Amino acid sequence: MTNTGGARQAAPKVGLFATCLVDMLRPNIGFSALELLRAAGCDVQIPRAQTCCGQPAYNSGDDGNARKLARQVIEVFENFDYLVAPSGSCASMIRTYPELFKDDPALSLRARTLAEKTFELLSFLVDVRGFRPANVSCKASATYHDTCSGLRGLGIKTQPRALLAAVQGLEMRPLEGDETCCGFGGTFCIKYSEISDAIVAEKAANIQATGADLLLGGDLGCLLNMAGKLRRAGATTRVFHAAELLAGRALHAIGEEKP
Amino acid sequence: MNARDAIFSALRRLRPEHLLTDALDAQARELAAAMKTCLPPLEFSDLVENFTARVTADKVGATVERLADWSGLPEAVARYAETNGLEKEAALQPDPRLTALNWGGVRPAPLKPDTMLAVGAARGGIAETGSLVFHSGPDAPTLYNFEPLHHIVALEARTVVARFEDYAAAEKGQPQPRNVNFITGASGTTDIEGVLARGAHGPRRLHIVFIG
Amino acid sequence: MNAPAGTFKERAHKALGDTNLKVALDRTTGNARTKRAAAVAAWPDFDEARKQSAAIKDHALDNFAYYLEQFERNALASGAKIHWARDAKEACAAVIDICRQAKAKTATRSKSMLGEEIGLPHALAEAGIRRVETDLAEHIIQLAGETPSHIIWPAAHRTREDVSRLFQQHHRDHRLLTEVEAMVASARHELRDDFFGADVGISGANYLVAETGAICTITNEGNAELTTTPPRVHIVTAGIEKIVATTEHALQLTRVLVRSATGADLTQYTTFHCGPKREGDRDGPEEFHIVLVDHGRTQMLEEMPEMLRCLRCGACLNHCVVYRKIGGHAYGGAYPGPMGSALTPVFDGLENTRDLPHACTMNGLCKAVCPVDIPLPTLLRDWRAKSFEAGYEPPGVQRALKIWTFVATRPRLYRAALAVALPLLRRLGKDGWISRLPFASAWTEARDFPTPPRQTFLAQIASGEQQ
Repeated sequence: MTNTGGARQAAPKVGLFATCLVDMLRPNIGFSALELLRAAGCDVQIPRAQTCCGQPAYNSGDDGNARKLARQVIEVFENFDYLVAPSGSCASMIRTYPELFKDDPALSLRARTLAEKTFELLSFLVDVRGFRPANVSCKASATYHDTCSGLRGLGIKTQPRALLAAVQGLEMRPLEGDETCCGFGGTFCIKYSEISDAIVAEKAANIQATGADLLLGGDLGCLLNMAGKLRRAGATTRVFHAAELLAGRALHAIGEEKP
Repeated sequence: MNARDAIFSALRRLRPEHLLTDALDAQARELAAAMKTCLPPLEFSDLVENFTARVTADKVGATVERLADWSGLPEAVARYAETNGLEKEAALQPDPRLTALNWGGVRPAPLKPDTMLAVGAARGGIAETGSLVFHSGPDAPTLYNFEPLHHIVALEARTVVARFEDYAAAEKGQPQPRNVNFITGASGTTDIEGVLARGAHGPRRLHIVFIG
Repeated sequence: MNAPAGTFKERAHKALGDTNLKVALDRTTGNARTKRAAAVAAWPDFDEARKQSAAIKDHALDNFAYYLEQFERNALASGAKIHWARDAKEACAAVIDICRQAKAKTATRSKSMLGEEIGLPHALAEAGIRRVETDLAEHIIQLAGETPSHIIWPAAHRTREDVSRLFQQHHRDHRLLTEVEAMVASARHELRDDFFGADVGISGANYLVAETGAICTITNEGNAELTTTPPRVHIVTAGIEKIVATTEHALQLTRVLVRSATGADLTQYTTFHCGPKREGDRDGPEEFHIVLVDHGRTQMLEEMPEMLRCLRCGACLNHCVVYRKIGGHAYGGAYPGPMGSALTPVFDGLENTRDLPHACTMNGLCKAVCPVDIPLPTLLRDWRAKSFEAGYEPPGVQRALKIWTFVATRPRLYRAALAVALPLLRRLGKDGWISRLPFASAWTEARDFPTPPRQTFLAQIASGEQQ
């Protein structure tokens, strides 16, 4: 894989924030992000002290614990040129840190500095690095679900499609309701599981109606929700994070264990 | 403390007033002007043409015809009644522009809750939405616009303005009528499954006759 | 509002099992979304107009006392009588008092969400005043003995087949109707006598216009004018936040309001009402009363001022994935959906309503479609923080977050814990999937969960695997 766009200066130092879900449940997305960022000319490091961005606490209204976790992320990542995460949801959370520390001038400044250099992976590759994948092919049909935090929180819509357009042999199919939430919502899907199920059932039906081989997206939480529902519904749609496909690592979809 | 004082004291505590009347007026004007930079585009530059396109669009569903002057209106009303199988009888809004006409074959009738046909004269029109403007008064009782099943409204072409802002500018500082009605098409409802059905409580049909 | 039956989850459960409700909601909100999308597509600068609309509302709210006083002065000069009410009780008392003075037996009412908010239907019934709802949807739910389930389409939970049955049962014309047009005609016929026989007409207001003292109603059916013009007395009930500076501002807001609500460019009837019948007028009410209601508005001005911009268009309901599945009644307040979840804790107390701000996926679509750009997800998140701080959250949730934070702020412990947990979790997997999770059974009730890897990403990086 080679980089085909963007003027090169000194390689920017990127701290890869894998996110807790990718770390625990799907390392392949982490490796894909690492390869893509390197191909885009970045000097990538993966700090050992990273854990969670604090979103579960924040969305539960537990600001005290959210601050503790946010503080840790700031300390671990503030010396990089960029923090990049393969998740619109976690990147959005980190962009919210200044609000969380608005009563603490010193941390508020550090939070703002970090927020300004925090990016979701796919949009970082396109918007900051001008990157397009080269020599990646995948003979399959795919549909794309715009995960909400990325779409409305960070304005990510065209970037993943621009990257996927560079994949040879990939046929993209429109998804009815591609901007409608899949019903994941972090702890929502556990706290209000019945409502969440009704929402993801509609999403799964729309995905199946495309007849696409693959479902792609940019957030593992949402992808787990949809993949789990598709599997339960008996669908054969294979689910990947878009980065896995772009890095040429789309071998085993979610739920397909390596032999 | 009475309710009024309690409410105002809370409002003043939370939003202390700091601008003078002139500064507030200027700010309000600036806000209105800023909105004017991002309005929905008009399809046609000719105001009557744009009005017609909006008001005859499917989602509004009025009908339109155009006459050279007022004198042809009674005949147009008679034609409408005949086409729609109505008696040649109409409640006439007591607007001098209407009452001065020779109604010949159309019998004037009093306005009633079940009036089939009424004829009105609008004060003006708004091209951007195809809206008729009425100011209530002795020559324009409000209920003429709401009681009939069929409503024919004469609208002088020269009184059509492009935008709501143009209406507001023309009326600025004038005494406020008891009722200002902006009427855009016949009465309708989407209350059953979001599907548009006409003739809810007001007119089921609105026919606009441009004059001039 | 009367206290709703059961808990939020119980009501949601019931709604999710109601297939008729699903049909009605899909039809109504689906139509609404399609029509709004078309209207917005025809207005390239719509997004900018949303921001300008927010600024116009904020201008009035930033100078709240000034404009409200100006409104009062001009309304009094037009001959209107003004009544102030701090809360729902005072507001209802003011309306009932006016009705009693007018010796009213029958009151027609055109749809007003504020009326629902303050419990006016109930208060009128207690006072022995016959209430006739004239908005078609309100008429439907009055026949059904229900409360509104949507702020624009109060009968959004009812299919055309339901309406047909209700009309057959209750209307003087007992024929079974199948076409929507015929049902509308039947309601027109049914309500005609009451429009002209009522003693009092009660309406809400979309705006209070400071510069003129007029109030504005926006309807499609013409029922507002037929409610407010023939009776001897017209009573307006309005929240004080309906204040705008000028007629021009009101008309500008109406552009975004109507497109967001029904997808039309303008409603059929936009009417500014100013004072009672004047000399020479052939129609119009002899008395014109305006009841101005606080009921939490001043509290909101302090705690969530953005919510006071709300134009009550209903777009956030139509676009909310949760509302679309459970409908309005499950929320248990006068206002459902995202805006309702922000408002109801103000009216009914957070402790009783803490589910509402939590039953949201935070997907942000409500904010994106809001014609006055209200940051609804932020407001709901703020309620969650207040609820957590007040100790209303279940002890299990509080404990789980405490443990998670304790471990996650100690990266070594976190790594060690995962090194133990992942292999244990893997044992539950079969063919790559886990069909029953031990600690998150709510997930696997409806979905499968992929078998986790042997090692975390960071552990694999540390051991040099796959690099």
